Amino acid sequence: MRLGIDIGGTFTDFVLIDDASGEVHVEKCLTTPAQPDQAVFSGIDRLAARTPDMMVRMKDVIHATTLVTNVIIERKGSKTGLITTRGFRDILELRREDRYFVFDMFIRFPAPLVPRSLRLGVTERVLADGAVLTPLAVDEVREAAGHFRKQQVGAVAVSFLHSYANPAHEKRVAEILAEEMPGVPVSLSHEVHPEPKEYERTSTTVVDAYVKRTTATYLEELAKGIGARGFKGRPFMMLSNGGTATIEAAKRFPVQILESGPAAGVEAASFFARLMGIHTLLSFDMGGTTAKLCIVEDGRAGRTREFEVDRVHRFRQGSGIPVSIPVYDLLELGAGGGSIARISDLGLLQVGPDSSGANPGPACYAQGGREPTVTDADLVLGYLNPNFFLGGEMPLDETRARRAIATRVAEPAGLEPVQAAAGIHELVNETMAAAARVYIAEKAKASKDLTLVACGGAGPLHAIGLARKLGCPRVIVPPYSGVLSSLGLLAAPIAFERSRAVRRLLRDLDPAALEKIFVELDAEIAQLMPPGRDTQHRRSLQMRYAGQDYALDIDVEGACTEPGAKQSWQKGYAAAYERFYGRVDDNNPVEVAAVRLNVMQAPPAPKLRPPGATADAKPKAQRRAWQPERGDFDIVPVYDRYALRAGQAIDGPAIIEERESTTVLYRGDRLGVHANGCLVIEVAAAKFQDLERDIENAHQG
Amino acid sequence: MHTRVKAQPVPAGPRLDPITIQLLWSRLISVVDEAASGLMRTAYTPSVKEYHDFCCAIFDREARLLSHCTVTTPGLLGVIPDIMANFARVHPPQTLKPGDVLITNDPWLASGHLIDVTVAAPIFHRGALVAYALCIVHHLDMGGRMATLESKDVYEEGLKIPMLKLYREGELNETVYEFIRANTRVPEKILGDLRAQLIANHVCTRGLLRLMQEYRLTDLRELADEIINRTEASLRRKIAQLPSGTYPYAVRLPPIPGCKERVDIKLAVLIEEDRITLDYRGSSGEVGAAINCCLNATKSYSAYPIKAVLDPEVPNNHGALLPIAVVADEGTVVHCRPPAATWGRTMISHLYPEIIFGALEKVIPEFVLGAQGCCPANEVYLHGHHKDGRPFMAIANHMGGFGGSARQDGPAGLCFPFNTRDIPIEVTESEATMRYVQKELVPDSGGPGRNRGGLGQVVEFEILSGERGPAEGYVASSVRLSGRAEDSDFPVLGRLGGGNGRGYGLAVNGKEVEHGIYRRLYPGDRVRFQVSGGGGYGDPKARERERVERDVAEGYVSAEGARRDYAVAIT
Repeated sequence: MRLGIDIGGTFTDFVLIDDASGEVHVEKCLTTPAQPDQAVFSGIDRLAARTPDMMVRMKDVIHATTLVTNVIIERKGSKTGLITTRGFRDILELRREDRYFVFDMFIRFPAPLVPRSLRLGVTERVLADGAVLTPLAVDEVREAAGHFRKQQVGAVAVSFLHSYANPAHEKRVAEILAEEMPGVPVSLSHEVHPEPKEYERTSTTVVDAYVKRTTATYLEELAKGIGARGFKGRPFMMLSNGGTATIEAAKRFPVQILESGPAAGVEAASFFARLMGIHTLLSFDMGGTTAKLCIVEDGRAGRTREFEVDRVHRFRQGSGIPVSIPVYDLLELGAGGGSIARISDLGLLQVGPDSSGANPGPACYAQGGREPTVTDADLVLGYLNPNFFLGGEMPLDETRARRAIATRVAEPAGLEPVQAAAGIHELVNETMAAAARVYIAEKAKASKDLTLVACGGAGPLHAIGLARKLGCPRVIVPPYSGVLSSLGLLAAPIAFERSRAVRRLLRDLDPAALEKIFVELDAEIAQLMPPGRDTQHRRSLQMRYAGQDYALDIDVEGACTEPGAKQSWQKGYAAAYERFYGRVDDNNPVEVAAVRLNVMQAPPAPKLRPPGATADAKPKAQRRAWQPERGDFDIVPVYDRYALRAGQAIDGPAIIEERESTTVLYRGDRLGVHANGCLVIEVAAAKFQDLERDIENAHQG
Repeated sequence: MHTRVKAQPVPAGPRLDPITIQLLWSRLISVVDEAASGLMRTAYTPSVKEYHDFCCAIFDREARLLSHCTVTTPGLLGVIPDIMANFARVHPPQTLKPGDVLITNDPWLASGHLIDVTVAAPIFHRGALVAYALCIVHHLDMGGRMATLESKDVYEEGLKIPMLKLYREGELNETVYEFIRANTRVPEKILGDLRAQLIANHVCTRGLLRLMQEYRLTDLRELADEIINRTEASLRRKIAQLPSGTYPYAVRLPPIPGCKERVDIKLAVLIEEDRITLDYRGSSGEVGAAINCCLNATKSYSAYPIKAVLDPEVPNNHGALLPIAVVADEGTVVHCRPPAATWGRTMISHLYPEIIFGALEKVIPEFVLGAQGCCPANEVYLHGHHKDGRPFMAIANHMGGFGGSARQDGPAGLCFPFNTRDIPIEVTESEATMRYVQKELVPDSGGPGRNRGGLGQVVEFEILSGERGPAEGYVASSVRLSGRAEDSDFPVLGRLGGGNGRGYGLAVNGKEVEHGIYRRLYPGDRVRFQVSGGGGYGDPKARERERVERDVAEGYVSAEGARRDYAVAIT
């Protein structure tokens, strides 16, 4: 048995899988922000009550949490001190000295996590090549520690210039602090993020220190609590990059678990796609506030280090605290069920990026919300069932939804309320599609090759509209969508990635030396991998023209010493470069920036029980639902998802209802129920299939 | 390279509705943002990768600006429309073919100084020219005297590239590259950045064509009219809310190194119903120092603050320039003629927003800012060779404090009105034979005020010696500052009763020296300078006691400063 626990902003979700029987148990508790482990324990206790021998039989517990992000946003971390090279204490506050939005005269930035009075410089200096110019003044470090003690500092970050090239001084400071301030957590910049650019490295290190004590306390309590309940195995944490780590490792670098929730969501989507032999997909998670999309190619999602927390403006890049950790390269948009619709000062319809949130929520929640939202539009269009939202727990008020749309959108724009609702639905889909097209193009992918895997409260409702706009041929709606990311915790492969900087011209490289690096990296990873399971290796070279910073990842097939290997890498690089950027007459030499090895081990795939029904489900009801292609309502059959039989087929238009979400099919779409419980929808002839060819023709004449 | 395919019959598209206009408009911005990301990822120098002194943009067939990238510097936003219009005049649309690429750095036809190189490409859709992609980059070097205010005319300032075709139907004109290679200090890096500009335009073209295809657009006429008209109307509505009238202001610039004359900038802001005229007539004649502004540069930084103050949220494009007229006499420092020297035009152009705020201080007090501490400029240039023969050219800037405003204290060390990123210390130290000694905020440097000016900083660096030192035995350098010392006749001004920003000066090895001129630095030489804090806003005595106490506790204001400037005694 394995248990996945995902603490989100509103709910804490649990998925327990019995690998022997394939049985899945699901639980959901309200998150308890003040003491997050409370919700965790009450969920576990409820599951254990239903599954008597659970604690004994459970092998793994895998956990993801938004705790760390919340600690930063709410400024509830440790009082943190920062030690820098003398003369450079203000790096954290000066940031990069530019404005993220040039037209804002009153631009604001998040307050630095360490105030100026707790930022201290000490005498030391390492140069760019790692040479020591000035030795570390040990007495000054002790003085700084004394100051921190007096100020009751609870954590210390250390970030010296060029420490990535020579970490000796940072290491020595750690030793001294261990003597002077025993028990106080310390984060060293060369360990947290060993790369040049002092602001980003310092910022990441400070975040790590700031959340260390809170995270450690929480994780220890968690381990103790589940231990006390009889759990004998090891608890794991999900990392922001999709890997898993022991509690001990997570405590050491808590900054690494900052974005673990979204990582789990993507893994869940890939897991279900993989069950159907699909390895290249676009995961699509649409909730109340945001939509998140992520391309997974050959079972692997891209990563980026451009990540920020605590943005002043949620959707404005650069307005937050930069954290240079590898995270999934997601596209996040202000498009959710709660996104607010309005007519702008320019007379144009806008939806989002702001959201009515959970409170007051959409107008139809009848909690005082006056502004129309996407959910209100979906209700007016007949897609949502007013009496079956959250399984009927929350009745929706259609009159309020219609009134909000009429007064705020329809009347100012001179439209009928239904037209306005259709416009809102269309615009939120198109907004997502427009951003997704750019995102897909930036990755040099084509949407006709991508299967859309939808989850989240609003995902399945908008997925087919989005797929039609993008030209994705197929949509998958996995089961358990309400707790999908906790299921993803159990499905994520155990993966390790190691890389080594090379920074040499390809023509000067000795293939045998490269091969040796790969073998060494493999040996490093082998020590971390649980033994005895099949592993997949992916070798790649980070290549660029000498002089550039940004490198492309070029796959290496076979041994580096094979004849013609260099030529094939060079060709692979040139082709990739042209695919991303077009043809340029660049005859500069190509450099290998780094060697990278990714080793993956699939966990035992969760065995899921097929849907239980033995006969095709009949519609449980019929209702009017808007058909955009006709510009009118049709009477549409409504099915109960839990009654569908594996293998059953349904032709659109149709609506499939489940507790946490609703799937909407249009004319021409065809749904099949897979044995694993997924809904698989073949989307009616996608509109822009031949887009790429058309573009080529258009440009040429 | 380009095969001709017979044009397909095109179904007439439906008229654009308010939903589609909004979508396409946002999309035009993502297309240029994608182009900017291609530029940064393929560039060769920190000037593009870190410094961000560039702009990527889309123009319609009539050379009207439709959108520009989010990461950019405002000074380029008002010049690129002129550049595109000039390209279209010199190379009319009927003379352009698919695969053509235009290039120039002519100050009068482009952005006002040689160091910015612009590359533009016509975009063809189904055989017809529908738009242009443009990318302008402030390069590290264009030859000539390196980064100095001392030049007397433009011929001293480097290589001038007339409006040429860099590519003809996909065929590279190698001669252009050869001239650049022969005239610049770090040619391979310059050419690398130039190629990145080509990539930016390619990415932009691809993105625009994809958009047109998806939405079945045959041209951009209707879309362009819609977004330009709406933007113009929106700004006009905002201007119409201001009281009509004429508001004069004038400043006398601090002495410019190598220039005998003192320079006056005179301005009258005329607000008439829904339009604004900025009248610079009466300003000083052009000078024999590299600070002269071509009219395009003057127009650019004059339009920017008006849009930023009155209508920041509506995306910027051609329409935002229409309600604003700029008037100036030819032959003056604000409208110079060839062959005036223009390299350091920002000594004047960066001041326009502040001068406009000066004129409007009483008209829109809730919108004006205290002066930014290093305005008009702070810039360090270093050039030489490593011992292994590699040439280096480094540029770095260090911002003064941002001005206080009606809403908040100015942030410490933040760019205005231009917008370049700092180049990390660790990057510059890897490029050049130098190391920083200090880079830190200076207490009490922020102009006192009900809302305080942001703190300025002190910067010190040293030329390395021995194996890590320069091959020639010296480094060619220039350090440009604002020239605005506290006790000068043009300090960093506060607004609405706020105090002036403080802290200024440049010294080599402890001896005060002149800024903005060429200087050789030798191993062990230490250059130290201060960039001022920002101007304060409102009466400092009206600042809440707790905020003053917090400033003292955090080291932004000294106890003595609190007593002197805020009449708050700290015990």
